[in-house]
Amino acid sequence: MAQKSGKRPVTRRTFLKAGLAAVGAGATGVVAVPRRAPAQGGSAKPYAGTILNVSCWSAPYPKWLADFLPEFTERTGIKVNYETPSFPVYNQRIDLELSTKGSAYDVLNLTFIYTSRWIGAGWFTPLDEFLKDPNRTPPDWDPGDFLSGAIEPLKDKKGVIHGFPWIADSFMAAAGRYDLIQKAGLKMPDTFDDITRVLKAVHDKEGVKGFITENHYGWSWIPYLQGFGGNVFRNPPDDLMPVLNSPEAIEAAEYFANLLRTYAPDGALSYMYDQALNTCLQGRTNYITFNHAWLVQLGDPQKSKVASTVAYSLAPAGPKGRFPGVAAHGFGIPAGSKKKEAAWEFIKWAMSKEMFRRMLVEKGYGSVTRRSVIESPEFKKQMTLNGYDVADLYVKTIELAGKGYMKYRTVHVYPQVDKLIDKAIELVTSRQMSAKETMEWAQTNAIAELKRAGVNL
Amino acid sequence: MARMDRSPSDAALAHRVAACPSVDGWAAQRRRAFLLGLIPALVVLAAITLAPALYLLVTSLTPLSLVRPAETAWNFSRPWTNFVALMADARFINSLGVQVRLSVVTVSLQLLAGLAVALMLNARSPFLEAVRTAFLVPMVLPPIVVAIIWKVLYTPEISPIHHLLARVGLPVSSLITNPRAALWAIALADTWEWFPFTMIMILAALQMMPEEPMEAARIDGAGPWQLFRFVVLPLLRPTLLLATLFRLIDSIKAFPLIYVMTNGGPGMVTEVTNYYAFIQAFNFSYWGYASAITVIMVAGVFFLSWLITRVVGTEVDIE
Repeated sequence: MAQKSGKRPVTRRTFLKAGLAAVGAGATGVVAVPRRAPAQGGSAKPYAGTILNVSCWSAPYPKWLADFLPEFTERTGIKVNYETPSFPVYNQRIDLELSTKGSAYDVLNLTFIYTSRWIGAGWFTPLDEFLKDPNRTPPDWDPGDFLSGAIEPLKDKKGVIHGFPWIADSFMAAAGRYDLIQKAGLKMPDTFDDITRVLKAVHDKEGVKGFITENHYGWSWIPYLQGFGGNVFRNPPDDLMPVLNSPEAIEAAEYFANLLRTYAPDGALSYMYDQALNTCLQGRTNYITFNHAWLVQLGDPQKSKVASTVAYSLAPAGPKGRFPGVAAHGFGIPAGSKKKEAAWEFIKWAMSKEMFRRMLVEKGYGSVTRRSVIESPEFKKQMTLNGYDVADLYVKTIELAGKGYMKYRTVHVYPQVDKLIDKAIELVTSRQMSAKETMEWAQTNAIAELKRAGVNL
Repeated sequence: MARMDRSPSDAALAHRVAACPSVDGWAAQRRRAFLLGLIPALVVLAAITLAPALYLLVTSLTPLSLVRPAETAWNFSRPWTNFVALMADARFINSLGVQVRLSVVTVSLQLLAGLAVALMLNARSPFLEAVRTAFLVPMVLPPIVVAIIWKVLYTPEISPIHHLLARVGLPVSSLITNPRAALWAIALADTWEWFPFTMIMILAALQMMPEEPMEAARIDGAGPWQLFRFVVLPLLRPTLLLATLFRLIDSIKAFPLIYVMTNGGPGMVTEVTNYYAFIQAFNFSYWGYASAITVIMVAGVFFLSWLITRVVGTEVDIE
């Protein structure tokens, strides 16, 4: 457990230990120069006055973390310049910043889609040195407590950890106005066919639109693509030949575009994640397939108008199975940072068991990545929303992703393909081209982009 | 030549003049002093404008990708590759077409709206002065704020305009996600933001316009339309051309509206050239390719400026 207060009590035992150590050092003639002690140890604040620049894209955990920053500063004396821009702005800005190996930032989010690129290029600091040293990382901080599926993408090819995940962003489904679905004599959709059946029955009932998802289709469409039996690449990460023009991909694009065209609010193509969530929070749209960290807010009576009618389920399965996306984002230290020790203090604090527990209890944060917190009764209690065991859905989703179908996402060229998929779904939905023409276009362009990136196809 | 009868003080003066540099020498010294004084400013100017432009040009001749900097930076083995690839890049060519359409529409609308409003406000009264100030508000708002305002206005679910239209039985679908309307929607927002610029230029020209030609035309029996058509408009011509030049160059920078409102979409219908360059650089890290796009844009802007300056210059000479 991380400490709530910054001071550890000096017991007689620790005092004697310290005395013995000093005597031993004197006897051997070795004067141990202690490494700068972790900030929370003792009354000294070795990093007092240090200023850290920290950035992460705007998501519940990093946004709520800002509320706790004064405690960190009080405990360590470290001041934090903290920013949480939107997801695309963050990625664009940081991709450029990292490529210069500049020292403008000391702690940054390792965005899932960029993990291979950023870690592979040596733009993040390996954390094994910090983890091996008990002076820097006390054993009870317990790095082994993180979900293996969540931490795996934050390792390099040799298995060295470069970041610790604050989220295992898992894709599931919610219906804010489940009462309308029940009135129609139906249940939460479990398959793609069920989605269509349910939306036909409830769309525009009581002025509530049927369906929404965020317009980052390189994320929100993929579970549908894989559910129909398609994929982005032939066999990632070894064979990166795009397969976006497969019959399955065309079918998935047509199906998904039809959901957006027929059942989504007018203008849904322009809905980023915040708009997609808000339309559901306000009860204007009913069914959403989206990320767990956001969907839990539908069950929060203080934020949501549909807290008493919301229902949750696993992301629906397609004809070829269920493939909910799971994306881990974590804090790491950019290679160019000149304040790595203080940065590690920040990561330890932000990713401690105690912080996750407080996020869960005080903020209702559900995408916890520490097993000890997930297995706690508090998690089950907090993640039971309107009677639905969302904790169970969360764990099941992460287990599903353990099958390995997310490998397409961490290849270093996915950011390019991701943007093409965004465009492709827009083209099909707005009827500028047929699904077949569009996916042929996406395939041709994906191949061109990959070749330009130096991928041998 | 010294004269024999001049006083000793004259001789001393002549000696001093002889010792001084010639008038030409003095002028040269003056020029050198000015140049020395200008050097710091020129160095700063070169550092902040010429050097980045030069770097852009150099980078455009490389395949620089930030993901593979070691292989791609300063690699001039195939310097024209980016430009050759651009000529075959359908998305780039489409972006040029979008840019031309957007520029033509926005500049035309801004000139028309600016002219109309300026003519309406061209009178001296405290009320009209207050109205003029109100019209300037869109122009002084940060572009990102303008973009957010219009994104809200264009989102049917929350837009007061869409709600009002729906209430009176004229529902309108989302404009920014409709491929036929999205570019017009951007153009309308851009016009709202920038027509005050043309308005204020035209208004200034109207207020400085000599009264005599108009008085003469009125005496000759010209009506309001003939007065405008044959007197005011020709006198405004240089101002209109100048405003066109400024707005045309500025229209190529229409980035924030597109970034916030449409992301270049749906599909690529609002993807202008600078937005495409932005995607190549900031999403894909292809800095060499993005630089090549930008070099072409810069060349286009220079050409446009040169062309219009020549026309404006001719017009001013005629006037």
